[in-house]
Amino acid sequence: MILKRAVLLFLVLVSVILNATVSTAFDVSAVRGPHIRDLYMVIYRDPDSQILALQKGELDVLGDVTRPSDIERLSSNQDVNLSISRGFHLFFMGFNLRKGPWNDKTLRQAASMAIPSIQIVRDIFSGYSEPVNTYLPPVSPYHETDVTTWEHDPRGARVLLEEEGWRWSPDGRLIPPGEESPLKGVKILSPTAQVAPTTAEISSRIANALKEIGIPVSVEPLDFSTMIRRLDLHDFDLFVMAWSLTRDPDSLFAFFHSSMDVTGGYNIQGLHDPLLDEVLEELRWAPDRQTAEGAARKAQQMLSEISPWIPVYSRYMVAAVRKGWDGVISTQATSADNIWTLLNMRSSDGSERPVFWCLSDEPRSLNPLSTGSAYDWQVLGLIYDGMIAVDPETLDDIPWLATKWEVETVSGEDGDHTRLTFHLRDRVKWHDGSPFTSKDVGKTLEFLRDNEIPRYFDNVRDILKVETPDDLTVIVTMKNVSFWHLHNIGGSPVFPAHLLEGVDEWETWQPAAEPHPSVKGLTSLVGTGPFVFREYRQGEYVHFVSNEDFWLIGGD
Amino acid sequence: MWSYWSRRALGAVAVLLLVIAANFFLFRVMPGDAVSTIVDPRFSPEAKERLRELFGLDLPLYRQFLIYVRRMLTFDLGISFLSQRPVWEELKSRIPNTVALLGSALFLSSALGIWLGVKAARRRGGLTEKLVLVSGSVSFSFPSFFVQLVLLLFFAYTFPVFPLRGSVSIPLPEGAFARALDYLWHLLLPVGSLVLLGFGSWAIYVRNLMVKTLGEDFILLARARGLPEGRILWNHAFRSALPPVLTIFLLALPGIVSGAVITETVFSLHGVGKYLLDSIMGHDYPAAGAAFYILGLLTIVSNLAADAAYALADPRIRVGRRAQR
Repeated sequence: MILKRAVLLFLVLVSVILNATVSTAFDVSAVRGPHIRDLYMVIYRDPDSQILALQKGELDVLGDVTRPSDIERLSSNQDVNLSISRGFHLFFMGFNLRKGPWNDKTLRQAASMAIPSIQIVRDIFSGYSEPVNTYLPPVSPYHETDVTTWEHDPRGARVLLEEEGWRWSPDGRLIPPGEESPLKGVKILSPTAQVAPTTAEISSRIANALKEIGIPVSVEPLDFSTMIRRLDLHDFDLFVMAWSLTRDPDSLFAFFHSSMDVTGGYNIQGLHDPLLDEVLEELRWAPDRQTAEGAARKAQQMLSEISPWIPVYSRYMVAAVRKGWDGVISTQATSADNIWTLLNMRSSDGSERPVFWCLSDEPRSLNPLSTGSAYDWQVLGLIYDGMIAVDPETLDDIPWLATKWEVETVSGEDGDHTRLTFHLRDRVKWHDGSPFTSKDVGKTLEFLRDNEIPRYFDNVRDILKVETPDDLTVIVTMKNVSFWHLHNIGGSPVFPAHLLEGVDEWETWQPAAEPHPSVKGLTSLVGTGPFVFREYRQGEYVHFVSNEDFWLIGGD
Repeated sequence: MWSYWSRRALGAVAVLLLVIAANFFLFRVMPGDAVSTIVDPRFSPEAKERLRELFGLDLPLYRQFLIYVRRMLTFDLGISFLSQRPVWEELKSRIPNTVALLGSALFLSSALGIWLGVKAARRRGGLTEKLVLVSGSVSFSFPSFFVQLVLLLFFAYTFPVFPLRGSVSIPLPEGAFARALDYLWHLLLPVGSLVLLGFGSWAIYVRNLMVKTLGEDFILLARARGLPEGRILWNHAFRSALPPVLTIFLLALPGIVSGAVITETVFSLHGVGKYLLDSIMGHDYPAAGAAFYILGLLTIVSNLAADAAYALADPRIRVGRRAQR
């Protein structure tokens, strides 16, 4: 066991040392960009052509390199720097706790001990992932290490089961305590090998590992939507899935609170634990960070005991940048394909050459009000800003459009409320030259709340009122108390009030195709961000130029 | 004859209505919908329900169907669930690339295949026939992604004669002529790869047809009459073999619009194939339904065109013409 861990640790360390050549700690406040003039986000769909383009010099930045063979290939390329970070990915196997045999905690714990996560990571990902045994990704600031872990130990799993009265039939199948018949065959729902080859392979290995301790398991490959439908209807025994999470631990509430065990809810496994519910409620409605940290810690410790999932691994994020660019930023939580790199990078030879950045698929609508596509947000994230940003090194809140803020709990006639006061940055301009003021924030929040826009629905639905006492102050009072309101409100993008007023149907708004009402050469895709949108040529590229009035350039 | 064509037209309308109904119901019997595939813990069940209302998925099925039929018959293809843009605009931006890619590939591969097939049949056992049989079988049996990636590696990377991706250079060249040339340059490798993959089946098929036809008595008679070999080959033998070739060609025409997912992915082309696949996978009913509707229409029109073309190609099968004794 110790040897296996040591081998894995060695693999990971070697890969990090060999490849993370640009990963350095840095001071956010020292960033003063963007320094580049033109940025092209170029659509390359095929992973092989992405690699060829990077090697050929047609791409400068390539993110989300996932195949170990590609990572190895690029790590030996003299013209490319690789960065590796831990990311927010989490892959796990879930049980259906609503029925036997998985409503038995001992069986779940024994199953956890049967699965060789380290071996899986080593064999399938060549070490470019890390085995996990907790319910938040390791990079999360709320990740708790002081939890009960279920190390790979099939013999120990058998002993644990035996102690609790489980027996084995002559053909090796487990017999539950007090029963005569052995377990019937169960299935792991998994996406098909054509759609998700590594997931299918992992499912198969998990099934084999569980068979080793007497659980008759086979894999049922399904089309993804069929699989989701079966999960929604709770028609399953076991399932495998991966989440891409955020820095905040409030996802634990969505995953494990009993109120989320509804059709289409995220408590897929059907966990109902009153004590855990109390802790999760404390987490969800925590008035401050300290309370949130305590509740998150306690929830993870309880979950490790309850074992509603078997966490398996978390994927590393790998990005490649061609040499010839200075100021590339990567941290333990963010690979080099991040906005900080774009704010800080400059050509090593001092030339004003454009940056070619890979987009793995085309944006769908570039409508910031309706789109949920990650490719759209890679584009929109350079145009629109929130009041608060996230430090890529520490994952702490940092001032962005707001220079400072206060979070208070105030009492009203109908109970306590969280009150957020944001003090906005002065002299910030929209890309069309209009001044950014508190009216923009107020109009944005009211527009999102009043139109019940699904993407922002959970962020803004608890807003009681928005006040703008002056151009640089916004006071948002929420209907209830929660520390997470700060991130939900402060992290939402802000849109220009003068353009929002002209939006009749937010669902079909096409700001990228709509000329700006007063400024020639601009579209209605206008933000305060570091890059100004110039053109989207469908299926080909998105062109930006740097925002020369961006507040960070030469700012304090 | 008119009664024949009116019957065919009525049949076409019936098929079209069936296509519309199948498009609607087949997607609905698939498990889940566009909203159920959103798996994001930040998207609560209430937020999903709101989205379902916006998409009209909360309406009774019969009302959804009536709305759908009205839209299809009036060519209002609706709004895509995934992009929230009009489906017709989405298709309009993709069809030119797809037609240019697959149309030219179909014409070139069929022309090359027919020419090689006829040549191979003319000289049985000769080098041409052997080459056609071998190259045809090989090109036909290789997986397209493999051939295309190898071509990309050689001709866009190792010997960079062609671009790696897309249909335009970045930044765009100045001037209409330069842009047209740039577009052709970008299409050459994907079209070439499809011709390479497609000509073999045409060549072998035409060669087999021609071998059979060249053994017929009327060819022997033509030779006995002393007609030139070229005339016998093309005017007599090939014309006789033409109807099945025309059928295959015309029925392949709708495929020009359906796109080629693998080719579009490998060469990062903005086309209908990838859009159609994404729409089906994402349960984007309006987008997938509209694309299949257009494909259904084209298939029906192609079928009618094939019927008309038979008569032109072979007077023996003209409707209403009495058998001459």
